[in-house]
Amino acid sequence: MTAPLAQRADSAVAHVIATTADEESLYSGVLAAVGDALGCQFGAVWEAEGDELACVETWCAPGFPGDDFASVTRSYRFGPGDGLPGRVWASGEAAWVVDVADDRNFPRAEPATAAGLTTALCFPLGSARGVVGVIEIYSAEPRIPDSDLLETMGAVGVQIGQALVRRRSDRSIRESEERKRAILQAALDCVITIDHHGHVVEWGGAAEETFGYSAEEVVGREMAELIVPPSLRERHRKGFGVRVEHDRGSILGHRVEITGMRADGSEFPVELAITRINLPGPPMFTGYLRDITERKRAEAELRASRARIVEAADDERRRIERDLHDGAQQRLVHVALMLRLARTRLEADPRAGAEAVDEILVELAAATAELRELARGIHPAVLSDGGLAPALTALAERSQPRAKVVSVPHGRLPARVESTAYFVVAEALTNATRYAQASSATVSAVVDDGRLVVEVCDDGGGGADGNGSGLRGLADRAAAMDGKLEVVSGEGEGTMVRVSLPCA
Amino acid sequence: MKKRLLIVDDDPRFRALMRQVLDDASGFEVVGEAHHGRAALDAARELEPDVVLLDVNLPDTTGFELAPQLAAEGRGPAIVLTSSRGDESYGRLAADAGASAFVSKYDLTPAAIMGALA
Repeated sequence: MTAPLAQRADSAVAHVIATTADEESLYSGVLAAVGDALGCQFGAVWEAEGDELACVETWCAPGFPGDDFASVTRSYRFGPGDGLPGRVWASGEAAWVVDVADDRNFPRAEPATAAGLTTALCFPLGSARGVVGVIEIYSAEPRIPDSDLLETMGAVGVQIGQALVRRRSDRSIRESEERKRAILQAALDCVITIDHHGHVVEWGGAAEETFGYSAEEVVGREMAELIVPPSLRERHRKGFGVRVEHDRGSILGHRVEITGMRADGSEFPVELAITRINLPGPPMFTGYLRDITERKRAEAELRASRARIVEAADDERRRIERDLHDGAQQRLVHVALMLRLARTRLEADPRAGAEAVDEILVELAAATAELRELARGIHPAVLSDGGLAPALTALAERSQPRAKVVSVPHGRLPARVESTAYFVVAEALTNATRYAQASSATVSAVVDDGRLVVEVCDDGGGGADGNGSGLRGLADRAAAMDGKLEVVSGEGEGTMVRVSLPCA
Repeated sequence: MKKRLLIVDDDPRFRALMRQVLDDASGFEVVGEAHHGRAALDAARELEPDVVLLDVNLPDTTGFELAPQLAAEGRGPAIVLTSSRGDESYGRLAADAGASAFVSKYDLTPAAIMGALA
């Protein structure tokens, strides 16, 4: 191996470095370039992996039968100082072995000799991060050591090492970008990055779907004019200016609720968190925005539902008090007065007194019946004592027109499930009679997949309002139990009320 | 001399029974009945009763609202408020309305009314 050969190797490697993009092509390219230039027959690249060197690439000159030695080489791992690669890795210096068979620290001497290889040259792949690997080149013919060649190959090794580190860094950046792109694509939030002028740099995650702009439409434009409503824009710009100038801001690092604007000008509530990107140069900011329209609506509905439940409970107490006053209490007042009359008349006219007592008994029976009816309205005793099946049957028999119970669940269900189902049926049957002028109705209650599903269908005029106070209150009650009440009531098509309640 | 009494209540059965109870007793003469507030004011003006037995719950007003107006009619009758509702706190409400007393309907006897007027 001579100096002109070394120059040829140097320029061939430079060409490979300039024309290859990835690590694998770089390895195979430089092995072939160096081997060719130096007239050698076999080469291998070793990479540092932790505290060992592993062979990651081999090369054989065209026609050279080195496959067996390649397999052996690939199966080896060397620690620092072991074998030729380990020695060069540990010292950081190129090394020359004139005849591998004579070297005492050459574990692969036998297979190398068997392959017809004699002289080995090994040089480190140097970089700013230290030696990242080594390259071995073998010649079949014995070669005498050449210090100029060793020096040149040391420099070539640094070129290759640096190229390798650059490619790894590029690959790492590409992979990082790819991961980021995948994360953004799957993100439920809008992820918007802006520069220190407030101009959009990145528009990812759910931003396109949420705001109605594509990334192509918005990158480079001022974010404020795109997604901040006109009435809030100036305040936003001032606040943003403070954040840029003074590296602070009231909303940095916090979650805040603001108003956003879509491409069509419609406004909607947004939850926003902003982070400042700490890189050299002017600051950049990434905002994570989430459309919370649905959450706000659900919160409002929950508040309204709670208020309606409280109001319904108050209304119910007032109704009971009124029913007591107008019914049983009034009758008991009558009884008291009739008893006084009977008492004064009994002595003078026993027959009239007996008639008066009979009247009192009739009045008392009426009072008792009214109290019983009222109690049933509050909570029917049959429901407590017998469960849903007998309670629904009794309810259907009392209803006018009479309803038919087509199925009822056997066994008991949780008390709140039974009572909600019962009152839904009671309300539906009352409505069928009172408002829909139905001539018949059916009631079915089945337990399916852990839920009680109750349906009441009538053949009345339909057109029922599911938001009427009775059904609305029952829908709230069902919702409070994670259940659902539906009303299907086309004009002239009868009414179907269905409630589904979890049994657990 | 019997006290002339006007019964004001929207429950006809109550009015009829009360009239019989009072008629049976000495001391009262039922001179009229009214079933709501407006009729009560007309009757008080026309009949000039000594006493009005006034139900708290009327279709068009409450006994507490009506009591001062009735007291200003005729010769200024004494007002005895009554109801099947209510508790001891109704006594103060009745006094505030210018009535002589509140007597629960369950305790309503001629003697109780007389006692309230004493």
